[in-house]
Amino acid sequence: MASSSSSSSCSSSSEKKITLKSSDGEALNVEKNVALEFEPAKGFLEDNSEEADDEAIVVPLPNVSAAVLSELIPYVKQRLELSAKPVQKKLIKAFDDQFTRHLSDDKLGELMLAANYLGVNYLLDVLCDVTADRIKNKSVEYVREFLGIQNDFTPEEEAELRAQCPWAFEGVDQD
Amino acid sequence: MGLLPEGCIANVISFTTPRDACRLSSVSTVFKSAAESDAVWERFLPPDYPSLLSDAASSSSSSSSLHFSSKKELYFSLCHNPILIDEGKKSFSLDKQSGKKCYMISARDLLIVWGDTPTYWRWTSVPEARFPEVAELICVCWLEIRCKINTRSLSPRTLYAAYLVYKPTAGSYGFEYQPIDVSVGVVGSESQTRTVYLDAERGQRKRYQYPRRIGLFNRSRRQASMPKENDGCYPKERDDEWLEIELGDFLNKEDEDGELEMSVLEVAAGDWKGGLIIQGIEIRPKQGK
Repeated sequence: MASSSSSSSCSSSSEKKITLKSSDGEALNVEKNVALEFEPAKGFLEDNSEEADDEAIVVPLPNVSAAVLSELIPYVKQRLELSAKPVQKKLIKAFDDQFTRHLSDDKLGELMLAANYLGVNYLLDVLCDVTADRIKNKSVEYVREFLGIQNDFTPEEEAELRAQCPWAFEGVDQD
Repeated sequence: MGLLPEGCIANVISFTTPRDACRLSSVSTVFKSAAESDAVWERFLPPDYPSLLSDAASSSSSSSSLHFSSKKELYFSLCHNPILIDEGKKSFSLDKQSGKKCYMISARDLLIVWGDTPTYWRWTSVPEARFPEVAELICVCWLEIRCKINTRSLSPRTLYAAYLVYKPTAGSYGFEYQPIDVSVGVVGSESQTRTVYLDAERGQRKRYQYPRRIGLFNRSRRQASMPKENDGCYPKERDDEWLEIELGDFLNKEDEDGELEMSVLEVAAGDWKGGLIIQGIEIRPKQGK
């Protein structure tokens, strides 16, 4: 973790560090290759490529909190290491499962928003899959509550939608 | 999570099932829009649906081609209106709840022993069939019907069941109390065999009046390895007014090549029997599993 701006012996660019600034103003030091996985950071670095010293760059990420970033960074770092090796899909799946298994519903939502904003599509897919599992075969009311969504249908509109496919409402899980 | 953009919601919905997607349309206007998007329904359609559609277009004699305004509309059309493929010898449809693939193999595509001998079997057409031709059993002693389908053409990770789809004619005889051996299994591995009855009348009597009248004769000798199932030994009436009898089930795993073989056999007693119209053998996901 020691910073070494004159790291001439460093062969890999991946060890260069970039600073990300979270929505709540915290600065997080990350390897450049990890930062490049975040679309806004990648764009920012490309726009500021004339800056000779990466260490001096601070990438603002105004939509992601430090708490969420500090969960995302180790995930992306390990995921990058995994995909660099010729490993089986199964291993990556196991790694993803381990990452998502214990996520609370709230955390899942925060991470999904962040992954969407940061354009980390492989993580977004995994999170969407986990979210889907949590709302499968659940009632409409449960899903609204779970995702914090306001019902913006009129009672008539909602009744009509239900009437279109009564079979889809039969036998859903108890809330 | 209330702030999730529509694309992200669509992504979540595409990991659920068609049944979930229909229900999730009622959550909110954004959910409705996401749940009806082509991105979602494209995922619910089987990956090879374009080739099945073009097969259907070339198999169909009518010039009406399939046009749909959305993938959801296409999906439901395939659920409700089976398309004829393989030169009209099979039909293809989707299971509405799950989007899994369903086939019916027409009588013409079945191997029917003595099927080409007009004294025993007759080829005819009936308006209520989905195929141009059905096979009518005049009379045989040796009843043997077989067919095969490649497991790759079925949806992966799915428990399927096969059903003989038929109906008795007015003069049907020889099937009362007549055990029929049916089986389903992958060629080269052990198949699951069980005993059924094709006589609908007896099935109805049993169901409604004598629910436990097993002592009439010894049915259990061929059923030793079969889990007992409600009425599984008797035909059920379908929505299309044909009868069906389950031949057995089969768990299709992922990426395994194999030929699934189904058979209907009554050669042991050797009595004369006749008066059935065979539409085909249907393979579809087993419900409630």
